Amino acid sequence: MSPALLAQGLVTGVLLGGVYALVALGLTLIFGVMRVINVAHGTLLMVGAYVTFTAANGLGMNPLASLLVSAPLLFLLGVLVQRFVVERVVGAPELQGLLVTFGVSIILINLALRVFKPDIRAVTYLSGSLTLGGVAFSVPRLIAFAVAVAATAAAMLFLKRSRLGKAIRATAQNQTVAVVCGVDVKRIRLVAFGLGAALAGVGGSLISIMYAIYPEMGSLYTLKAFCVVVLGGLGSYLGALLGGVILGLAESFTGLYVGTQAAEAVAYLLLVAVLLVRPQGLLGERRQ
Amino acid sequence: MKGRAAVATIVVLAALGAFGATTENTYYLSVGYSIFLYVALASSWNVMSGFTGYTSFGHVAFYGVGAYTAAILMFDHFWSWAPAFLAGGLAAALLAAVIGWPCLRLKGPYFAISMLGIAEVLRIVGLTWESVTYGGTGIPLLSALSLRGFYFLMGGVALAAVGVTLAVSRTRFGLRLLALREDEVGAETMGINTTAHKLAAFVLSAVIPGIAGGIDASRVGFIEPISTFNVFITIQMIIMTMFGGRATVLGPVIGAVVLSVVREALWARYPYDYQALFGVLIIALVLFMPEGVMGVVQARRRAAKVPAP
Amino acid sequence: MSGPILEVREVRKRFGGLQALAGPSFDVPEGTIVGLIGPNGSGKSTLFDCITGTERLDGGEVRFAGRRISGLAPYQIARRGVGRTFQLNRLFGRLSVLENLLAVRGPLEGGRAEARAHELIELVGLTRVTHELAANLSYGQSKLLEFIRALMLDPVLVLLDEPAAGVNPTLLERIVGYIRGLRDRGVTVLVVEHNMGFIMGLCDQVVVLDHGEKIAEGPPRQIREDERVIEAYFGR
Repeated sequence: MSPALLAQGLVTGVLLGGVYALVALGLTLIFGVMRVINVAHGTLLMVGAYVTFTAANGLGMNPLASLLVSAPLLFLLGVLVQRFVVERVVGAPELQGLLVTFGVSIILINLALRVFKPDIRAVTYLSGSLTLGGVAFSVPRLIAFAVAVAATAAAMLFLKRSRLGKAIRATAQNQTVAVVCGVDVKRIRLVAFGLGAALAGVGGSLISIMYAIYPEMGSLYTLKAFCVVVLGGLGSYLGALLGGVILGLAESFTGLYVGTQAAEAVAYLLLVAVLLVRPQGLLGERRQ
Repeated sequence: MKGRAAVATIVVLAALGAFGATTENTYYLSVGYSIFLYVALASSWNVMSGFTGYTSFGHVAFYGVGAYTAAILMFDHFWSWAPAFLAGGLAAALLAAVIGWPCLRLKGPYFAISMLGIAEVLRIVGLTWESVTYGGTGIPLLSALSLRGFYFLMGGVALAAVGVTLAVSRTRFGLRLLALREDEVGAETMGINTTAHKLAAFVLSAVIPGIAGGIDASRVGFIEPISTFNVFITIQMIIMTMFGGRATVLGPVIGAVVLSVVREALWARYPYDYQALFGVLIIALVLFMPEGVMGVVQARRRAAKVPAP
Repeated sequence: MSGPILEVREVRKRFGGLQALAGPSFDVPEGTIVGLIGPNGSGKSTLFDCITGTERLDGGEVRFAGRRISGLAPYQIARRGVGRTFQLNRLFGRLSVLENLLAVRGPLEGGRAEARAHELIELVGLTRVTHELAANLSYGQSKLLEFIRALMLDPVLVLLDEPAAGVNPTLLERIVGYIRGLRDRGVTVLVVEHNMGFIMGLCDQVVVLDHGEKIAEGPPRQIREDERVIEAYFGR
């Protein structure tokens, strides 16, 4: 294995991993607070991607500027989903959360199919790559990575420092104690789902400048996000970041050495393998 | 009560048989076939997930593996349909035994995600292992039977699935599955080998979907990975069982009949929005009737049995 | 009274930084009622979990009827004749009282299990709620149900985790009677309880745990006067 190829694999993997981490952070945030596995996560990402597509190709907006639209829009969508659907299954057996979020997912996919047709679309924005020491940095991926890191950092800072963020973490830790301490957990859940959806939406916007988009793209990213979250430990924020980078690297190296088709299966194989070997994830704690 | 139920069963079966034997309406025959398919699938899901509470969110894996096994045996090895379909059931059971061992140690959401992951891995395997599965090109199949033949064959499979559920629900085995659903540690300390019980239920719940998968592949006349390992098939098994009532014998039957008809009607009337409407239906069902039709019936029955305080 | 039915030997169990069991050893003679007491967090329930196989030991061993049982699965231990109840009940909530008993995989099967179940239900006066869901029982009723559910194993040894907690005096008296009845039939009982009157009046032997260690062992009268026990409970 040549050093140049190795470096290329590392770069591609880390750049990809940054976006995965961002998306997975949203999923793990929702799971942590609600104990609900959000099957619609990838679909929310798809909605974000189409927001950017519409803004860029329809309104001529800069795709990066469209983040300022997709993030708040998805936050709002998340709040609505939480308020009217997910809130009612909090505390119920996991099956109910899986089913209602699946329901939300197919409703959104159906809407996207109606509005945008099943065609495969792309957002054209910058292209080409920078070469540095024999390693190519694809420009869109570099930008996506930078934005993802910034957004992730902002979200982490919010969770660690702000009052609301601390309340979210407290609720995820122990809901009963949070209630006793005067936290309005219902509101916390709204914010948590909204924030999780916004992170997925930003991820979708970023993915739209790197890859083709289509209404049914969501399930692929839902599973990738599951993989990342399980890898890092369900409910662990740092775990999501670590898991994102690991998945990015695993995909990029499999793509380089085995083939792109196999790279697609890596997430699933990794998911199943981690579940079997260490279901609590790398940074997760064992729960009884 | 018991006698009346038996009479009702015989009447319904005779009516379905007479209908299948005489009708010339191919639409009704194919709807009947599809209802039987889902009675078989939902009842099987129920044996595992309804009774043990372990949510298999990837039960389509067994349907798909059965479909591929039968298809490959018929297409490449010229097996006749009956042994090929049975081999599909066997392959599904084997898969359940192999993945059940590690997966059933996982609890709650982890088990659900692992099953979803396994179904997805199988889809990718179907797409990439071209030398065996013909990848995305798929496998064309000659229809092994007439539509009427498929109607009766799937009807028999559905009947078998209901029979299995009945047997489970009437035995200590089923009672112990329910016990471990309620409290696994409690069940284990009461002498129940929970691992063996879960594994047995899992394997049992895989056989019939495996057989049904092979039959369905032959009926459709073509299989390819994306539509075969489709999450939507799993979701239908779950939602039908839930609608009728989990851990009951009649629940999955009621759910499969009602929701298959609803699905067909939605599909015929709103071909572009039927997915969304089904989504609304799923959400409404979970939010407003999580215990299903039989749940309501059982609660009433129990109330009648227990004397008022 | 013959030799020990249960031998606990230097059992160790650690949860993260907490040494829950620091190697206590004691015997439970066959056909006796032995009390296991100690302040909160002294390791009593953990010891129960280790005896019944729900928790794996880090060191030491447990022998039952002369054979090592530590390392066996909980269901195997149960089938050898070790029944137990839990501090917080672990009934099968959405099964009826009768079904809770029939689900038990003990030595009796089929119709004989059913007959035995009805017998036990009658014994503790739950006949009226035979078909009621366990989740709908009153606190006292669920204590009784858990007790007779353990008896469906036809146990040689019964472990009772706080059978008297939160129970009214009338019911308490009945429970004491049932436990004595068990001993009279040759069943050995190991009981964890905070109610000292209950322990002192019922037990033949008492074992005292503190911080996962055995600090005293003997007949109730001797325990009551033991300096270390008094200190563990009232001192510091």
